[in-house]
Amino acid sequence: MAHARSFIPPFTRLATCSIAIPKRELPRFAVLPLQSIRCASTKTPPPKKKKKTRNTFIQYDLKEMQQFSLVDAMQYIRAFEVGRDPSSAKYEMHVRLRTLKNGPVVRNRLRLPHAVNTDIRICVICPPDSAIAAEARSAGATLVGEDEIFAQVKEGIVNFDRCICHADSLAKMNKAGLGRILGPRGLLPSTKTGTVVTNVGKTVKNMAGGSEYRERMGVVRMAVGQLGFTPDQLRENVKAFLDEIKKDMGQMSDRISKEIHEVVLSSTQSPGFSLSGEFKAPNSIATKELGTPL
Amino acid sequence: MVHVKVRMRKLREVSIIPAAHVPLFLLWIRVGPGALILPKDVSKISLEFHKQINGGHMGAKKFWREMLPRIKYRNPSIPIQISRHDSPSGPALLHIYTASAGTPSADAASSSPEPTPTHTIDMKLQTSSLILQQLIEKTKATILDATEQEQEELAALEIQKARSEADRALVREKLDAKRREEKLLRLARGELEAASV
Repeated sequence: MAHARSFIPPFTRLATCSIAIPKRELPRFAVLPLQSIRCASTKTPPPKKKKKTRNTFIQYDLKEMQQFSLVDAMQYIRAFEVGRDPSSAKYEMHVRLRTLKNGPVVRNRLRLPHAVNTDIRICVICPPDSAIAAEARSAGATLVGEDEIFAQVKEGIVNFDRCICHADSLAKMNKAGLGRILGPRGLLPSTKTGTVVTNVGKTVKNMAGGSEYRERMGVVRMAVGQLGFTPDQLRENVKAFLDEIKKDMGQMSDRISKEIHEVVLSSTQSPGFSLSGEFKAPNSIATKELGTPL
Repeated sequence: MVHVKVRMRKLREVSIIPAAHVPLFLLWIRVGPGALILPKDVSKISLEFHKQINGGHMGAKKFWREMLPRIKYRNPSIPIQISRHDSPSGPALLHIYTASAGTPSADAASSSPEPTPTHTIDMKLQTSSLILQQLIEKTKATILDATEQEQEELAALEIQKARSEADRALVREKLDAKRREEKLLRLARGELEAASV
């Protein structure tokens, strides 16, 4: 792309340099303030060397981290959470993995042996007085019906956190036009989100006690227990969670290798306690003492 | 995740995060006001006070935030409940329930519908340290002093704090000098009005 045009600027610059500028520059020097002696450099600094990109997360040496047994960590966390509502503040688990930055991530749902979110209100849209409705009620749904729910929602009363629709009632629901109210809240059942189902009972059960987890930046985080749990209950939940993660990692072992690096237990108000993997240390308190209500 | 060293230091440090007002640290929860062991007959402690501090409820809140965790850490089996009401003129009380010698244990106390507290402390318009003092007097709790190792750790932390304060001053000095230089340079280029300096 070497045009003839590219030769023109040097000529013009030469001309202006030799004649026009020196005469104009000279008087301006005299006007400048005293600080101009400092010679401000207008040169741009040389471009920085490009940082080498890495495809693994930095792994810290866990020798520097004090690790705790589950009972010890629970004693600390219960003290930090003193006076809080035992069902609102939750034990959280953070599982650090040894993994690549780019690549498939661990992602799944599971049902813990002891449910964490017990206060979820589920609404099931299906014909009332049918076998499906009875099944949904027994699985833990709080609101079951068709026209009643439509009327309620249209009035603006939405007292549920999840909404499931039976496949046979889908047409009726679409006709009722709930999208304007439920849509913005993310409650409208649709096949895409897996909330239009035929097996209502199973879905409700999974929703009531199930929770989702997903690896983000090499860490899987999930709530594993309520503060009122006893150490044994929490141990069962933690074990179920870790087993599930290991199973997920095993399934993708042909594509990528992942390993658990560190397991941290924390809660809403407490710092994170790195777990040593044992249930009780020799000098930790009796399990019975943590069994009492908070 | 955050670097292991940073997390470890946070666990060890004795201070309060100003934004959250949540004291987060290990030594903090072992040593300080509230590190005491309640006698065995204390079965439950309950507090009630206003949701905000106006109306003389600040001491109660401070007591909860700063001293109750230490009490709970040393007495993990004693339930501590807090209920916060909506009226500033309402009560600010601390109830201490004891399992009396006649009843077998805490089971009997919990089965009765409304057990009466053995001691009650009025926390209104009181500082947290005064509330703690009354609690110790009424329950005859034994205060735990810092062990030798804990005292050593505390001293080490003090040294570290002093050092980091000195380092901070050093860095601030350098930064200030750099900023001053940059400002003068901008002035020299005429980007800044001389009057605004």
